[in-house]
Amino acid sequence: MSTNQENDGYGISVFKPGTPPGVKTRGIIFFIIFCLIILIQAFYWLFANSVKPFVLGMPFGMFFIVLFIAIEFIALLVVYFAEAKDVAEGGGS
Amino acid sequence: MSWITVTIIVFIYLFFILFLGSWAGRGRESSVVEYIAASRNLGFFVMYFLMGGAIFSAFAYLGGPGWAYSKGAASFYILGYCALGLVPWWLWGPRALRAGKKFHYVTQAQLFTDRFQSKALSVIIAIVSILAFIQYITLQMKGSAYVFEVASGGRIPFWAGALIAYVVVVIYVFYGGVRGVAWTNVFQGAFMITIAWILGLYFAFKLYGGPTDMFRQIMEAKPTHLLVGPGTKMSFAAFSSALLVSVLGFAMWPHLFMKAYTAKSERVLKQTIVMYPTFAIFLVPVLFIGFAGIMQVTPDVLGAPDRILPWMFIHMKFPAIIVGLVLAAALAAAMSTQDTITHAAGSIFAQDLVEPLKKEKHTDKEATMWIRISVVGFGAVSYLVAIFGGQTLVSLLLGAYGSIVQLLPLAVTTFFWPRATKAGAICGLLVGVLYNFGIVLHIIPKFWGIHAGIQGLVLNFIVLIIVSLLTKPMNREHVRKFVTL
Repeated sequence: MSTNQENDGYGISVFKPGTPPGVKTRGIIFFIIFCLIILIQAFYWLFANSVKPFVLGMPFGMFFIVLFIAIEFIALLVVYFAEAKDVAEGGGS
Repeated sequence: MSWITVTIIVFIYLFFILFLGSWAGRGRESSVVEYIAASRNLGFFVMYFLMGGAIFSAFAYLGGPGWAYSKGAASFYILGYCALGLVPWWLWGPRALRAGKKFHYVTQAQLFTDRFQSKALSVIIAIVSILAFIQYITLQMKGSAYVFEVASGGRIPFWAGALIAYVVVVIYVFYGGVRGVAWTNVFQGAFMITIAWILGLYFAFKLYGGPTDMFRQIMEAKPTHLLVGPGTKMSFAAFSSALLVSVLGFAMWPHLFMKAYTAKSERVLKQTIVMYPTFAIFLVPVLFIGFAGIMQVTPDVLGAPDRILPWMFIHMKFPAIIVGLVLAAALAAAMSTQDTITHAAGSIFAQDLVEPLKKEKHTDKEATMWIRISVVGFGAVSYLVAIFGGQTLVSLLLGAYGSIVQLLPLAVTTFFWPRATKAGAICGLLVGVLYNFGIVLHIIPKFWGIHAGIQGLVLNFIVLIIVSLLTKPMNREHVRKFVTL
């Protein structure tokens, strides 16, 4: 994923011009985190294709999926509040 | 006589929804941006249920337990994609919202058509969307017709059951526009979730003494039922590719994508995305209902797996009032999806298919009238398809249904790759859509059990990139507009 400063205006453009480097780094980190969460959910059978142990009344595979839904929810909250803080400080994204 | 009580409760629910939906749009001006996008003014609470109602469809409510009952662990995929479906929207939802405000779009195709300067694209997207919508609606109609059949003890036939619920939907969509859809979804969503939790946990405790014991018994009776992979109902590749394609394609559904234009602000849109995984958690007890059925009834007795939810509570000897409420909740699931789809289909037909092909523009008032007429027209056509649709028609619709994810490259390139050209976009989309039709119509053999949508998507991206690089770039200022939003 390149941000291509030097091109003629037609290159891949992930961020708006003038986005602060800190915001860019954070964007990339969260992008990777969410890709991982999606891939782990999709390939859950690599990690948790078993019935036992039962957790919270659910078979382990189902619990694993629910656990990652919770992790995803927390990650979304974190990214939301990080962005809200930027807006409050006038940084914007 | 208990069927009379049940039917009365279901009808009380229908009247309430009819009133609520029609009331929601009162006193609003008659303009396109109000009718389709609620004047870009919806707050978080309504947005949350508006998006949630669309996913809590008859598929989730009747099909979800059906999957849990017949396919076991494969049904976990429903949880995964419901939770993740809106995550990719973080990337283009806010951009679509800004674009909508700036360039006055109310539909998905308007955005892509403007970016790629192509009316042909608008027509292709409109046709694929509407065919896919008909398929979607037909599924919901089967669900609601089934509810009436059960409620009346078989006295209300399929054609009448499908008709009654859908007429209510069409009326409040006609009058209320997107506000009618949104406010009914708030009520329907809250109602369904409550009923689902009570029912799911009740079955697990009453029949088995708790979820753990329930799953233990299932494991002992059917050791592979709670697993995926070889020897189970879903292969590894099928599970993973189905989940991925659903996550990528979810927010590409035109009726969801265009909701980006209804949000009051980016904040509201992002709050909706943040809270969306909660809907997946709400679905957990819905799956319990299906799992609870495994030790109670054999598939031969049940007939179709989708019947598991109604079968379960009918054989539990609940009082008529409870049965009525549960059936009303199942109906709510079907209707809260039907209304969004019908509303979007009417909007797309009028705005993306009729308007671009007309020489002179309609006034705003006329255009709104045209959308309303399209809503009724679409309603009539999909009802007829549900009643009389033959096998060929069904595969045609299925092809369109699977083609929605093929709009993804358009969104990605619109916002991130200015070099993409009109020819590239059209060729890519056509290849993706035709490939998918090829698989559905068995012209192209299935490959490794990987979801057809993913295969089409890869081809689509490759064609789009190659053709774009071979053709002349589009006007720089024009395409830069979309990446600097």
